[in-house]
Amino acid sequence: MSWNEFIYFAAGSLLFWISGTVALYRLRRSLTGELLIIAGLLLFSSFIALLWDYIGHPPLRTMGETRLWYSLFLVLVGYVTYKRWRYKWLMAYSVLVSSVFIFVNLLKPEIHGTNLMPALQSVWFVPHVTVYILSYAMMGAATIASAITLSSGEKRERELLPLIDNLVHIGFGFLVLGMLMGAVWAKEAWGDYWTWDPKEVWAFITASAYLIYMHAHYTKISRREALWILPVAFILLMITWLGVNYLPAAQGSIHTY
Amino acid sequence: MGGQGKGKQETALVEIIIISAVTIAGLALQFVIGPLDFGILAFPVNLVLGLLLLLLIPFKFPKSIRRFGSGRVSVTLLAIVTLMAIYMGVVPGNDVKHSWPFALIYLMTMVNLALAVGKRVRKFNLKRDHGFMLNHLGLLLLLFSAGPGSGDMQRWFMTVAEGATEWRGERAGVNEPVELPVAISLIDFSMEEYPPKIAIVNKSTGESQPSGKPVFIESTDGNSGIIAGWSIQIDSFIYRPMMAPSAFISAKRVSDGEMISGRVSCGNIFQQFAILDIDDRFCFAMTHPEPQKFSSQVKVYTKEGEERTGIIEVNRPLTIAGWKIYQYSYDTRRGRDSEISVFELVYDPWIILAYIGIGMVMIGSLTLLIKGGKRE
Repeated sequence: MSWNEFIYFAAGSLLFWISGTVALYRLRRSLTGELLIIAGLLLFSSFIALLWDYIGHPPLRTMGETRLWYSLFLVLVGYVTYKRWRYKWLMAYSVLVSSVFIFVNLLKPEIHGTNLMPALQSVWFVPHVTVYILSYAMMGAATIASAITLSSGEKRERELLPLIDNLVHIGFGFLVLGMLMGAVWAKEAWGDYWTWDPKEVWAFITASAYLIYMHAHYTKISRREALWILPVAFILLMITWLGVNYLPAAQGSIHTY
Repeated sequence: MGGQGKGKQETALVEIIIISAVTIAGLALQFVIGPLDFGILAFPVNLVLGLLLLLLIPFKFPKSIRRFGSGRVSVTLLAIVTLMAIYMGVVPGNDVKHSWPFALIYLMTMVNLALAVGKRVRKFNLKRDHGFMLNHLGLLLLLFSAGPGSGDMQRWFMTVAEGATEWRGERAGVNEPVELPVAISLIDFSMEEYPPKIAIVNKSTGESQPSGKPVFIESTDGNSGIIAGWSIQIDSFIYRPMMAPSAFISAKRVSDGEMISGRVSCGNIFQQFAILDIDDRFCFAMTHPEPQKFSSQVKVYTKEGEERTGIIEVNRPLTIAGWKIYQYSYDTRRGRDSEISVFELVYDPWIILAYIGIGMVMIGSLTLLIKGGKRE
């Protein structure tokens, strides 16, 4: 299964997810909607599995491949959060953002090169990237929730703040796991666990921005003011993930592929 | 309440002023002394520093010191270190990581962590504080090993020819061989490559076709495929030692049946490259084979008489007497016919402490996954 068939899987999954979300809003019982969303998740995962088989290594190396996982995890996180908190809007936003990434992959795949260089052939490769992408998905959901809270009143704030804090803390847990697995891997591959490589610098910036949010309640900053940190942190996260390769300081990074 | 709040605001201001003063003092040091040489932190300096940090944990210091262990101070420190890191990430060719302001804020962060850990130690409650302890103490250990601990780190590069034994290594960018406590004898260097690929290339720009979404065909015997309207068959593929890979291909334009056939080769140090012209603008060409795996069969000795044989490859270093030996490079011009192997030798006595710190924070982040945003 190559990228040429992606459009069919993507269209099918989106159809399941969109109709599932609509069903959650329209129908009294959530079962139909949930089944449609799960069907979409299965279809999308099967594409990843078949692509994995076709290229002979985990599809986690190129930008297009990481976006593929992001599209999947975002809907997965949206669904799990829906199961736990019953927020339909989060499900809808997850599907919307996921579809943006699917369209980016259809229009600008960035999927060239299927050869895995020796340094990437490691047991840490899959957990390092998947955990990061999972974290990005949760931070994405937290950012959406923070934007909604900031643009609405007190009542929403009381309702959403616990959710936002949960998403950020869990997302941060995954972020740290991804970072430390990367560090252990780097020690095995390059002899040092932290070298301030440009991608590492930006991963550090992202992590400390979220740490500021997590420690903000020790200061006089109000809960509502602190929420502004989240969109900023998410922009930093996007630079880490997608933007680093374009920065002049990043020429010669070990993470540019 | 109002008065108390104001008092709090004032202390916050005092802390921000002190931290800014430390940063500015760092800038002054930077101008006077120049970048911080991590060598000055080498044993026993880092050990003394580590013990001093450790002392911050069990003892209850006066409030003027204890305040630097607060969550409020941690936010100021994080904000400053984030700004420094953004400078590091945006301005090309900077050396923030070896600068005095960065080192001093790094030190204050370790002090902050040690004091914060100390505060929790004094009213420790396992159920409430285990996540906090794992994360903060683990991070402190990691920061210590990666910072002051790196003063003891040694990195050397060693080039060894097949059949030879080498004791001398060089530092990165310094052409002065020094005898090391470890020697490497290279029995065999070997390398596997991915097959090179056939492409259609724009001769003036070098861009692979179709433009923007290039297609490649793996150059293996009998393989075939379609690129930009040409149906291509690899008739034979030859790749012998001390020769460049080369392929005989036949291509047929799908639209009008025009046939082209001939030899293409990516060339290397041993042989010229060869392309097959389509017209003035395009030609068939072969990409260079990419390395799949390279490894060195070695025998390693130490001055103390320890010996070890093994295979070193990327992601699989060999450890002997506190040294880790990494497969670093080879003679890239000769590729798989390289007769030398380049190793990187790393000595880092604090690595165990770093791994303990990493392990603690990893377990600590699992508690984040379970607890979520619930405040303690």
